[in-house]
Amino acid sequence: MDKVFIIIPAYNESAAITSVIKDIRAASKEWQMVVVDDGSSDRTAELAETAGAVVLRHLVNRGQGAALKTGTEYAIMAGAEVVVHFDADGQFSAADIPAVIAPLTAGEAQVVFGSRFLSAPGGKKSNIPWFKKHVILGLARLINKIFLGVSLSDPQTGCRAFSKEAAVKLNWQQDKMAHCSEIMRLAVKNNLRVREVPITVVYHSFGQHFSGGVKILEEFFLGIFTK
Amino acid sequence: MSLQQIIGLAIIIFFLARVLSQKRKNQLNAAEFNFWLAFWLIAGAAVALLKQIDRSLAQLGFSASGINFLLYLSVAVLFYFIFRLRLQLAKMEGEITKIVKKIALGDKPADKK
Repeated sequence: MDKVFIIIPAYNESAAITSVIKDIRAASKEWQMVVVDDGSSDRTAELAETAGAVVLRHLVNRGQGAALKTGTEYAIMAGAEVVVHFDADGQFSAADIPAVIAPLTAGEAQVVFGSRFLSAPGGKKSNIPWFKKHVILGLARLINKIFLGVSLSDPQTGCRAFSKEAAVKLNWQQDKMAHCSEIMRLAVKNNLRVREVPITVVYHSFGQHFSGGVKILEEFFLGIFTK
Repeated sequence: MSLQQIIGLAIIIFFLARVLSQKRKNQLNAAEFNFWLAFWLIAGAAVALLKQIDRSLAQLGFSASGINFLLYLSVAVLFYFIFRLRLQLAKMEGEITKIVKKIALGDKPADKK
């Protein structure tokens, strides 16, 4: 069995973090969980530690992309063979993780993205809000295709897995939410074998709004000049 | 020279005097002093040569007057400075992230089994 590290970036997620860790633990006892507490002001770090995860602490909030980078670098140093990115808000299902890492362990892919837009045979569908599904994510898909050369069904997925080699190569610099698109662009740029698999996302809130999409574009634009 | 140009030049001379005084008091470093000196001298030249700018613009086929041109130019320059500032901030944010990451990883060294 490959050494699998689940990286969970968390910012003020004390309401959900314990159940997220327990769900992942129930899916497999073999996986190692790393929670990166991104400067939370609540009990996220303490609860994650109590639930059995390794906790890395950002002294100040740096954004999801930065927290994932810290967790991924830790996993590489700790000898991970597979690195999985997973949200801390309880919207992802731990039951999807085996399907996300399966193409990696089978050697069929180096990077796997979970997609809310693909449906598994007989599987549940994600309850994506209509405006988000058809307008925000539709536009994001178009922008990814035109400007980044990325043609994936889900343009902003937070559930992804890499082989160790891919995790080393995917050196993303975006600290905030633009890391999603940057990781996809880097996977294409590095000619890594990419696969999408269906995942189910349960929306407790609307999540990223249209303004968030504009912010991502701004971060990406600035990122071009700060390299 | 029109009254407006004289007023404009008087304001620029006031700011030039301020720059020189700040330099004398060591409140500006060399790079800042050079920048502000060049900035106000160029602004002074643009105001003094407003009629020539008018003529040059007309020869180039533009209908705008020299003062309008200077306004458009100043807006473009302001946008540029804001962009530079934003870039500087983005770079600093990146540096902060590097420090925060190093501390986070240093606090919990990975146990390679």
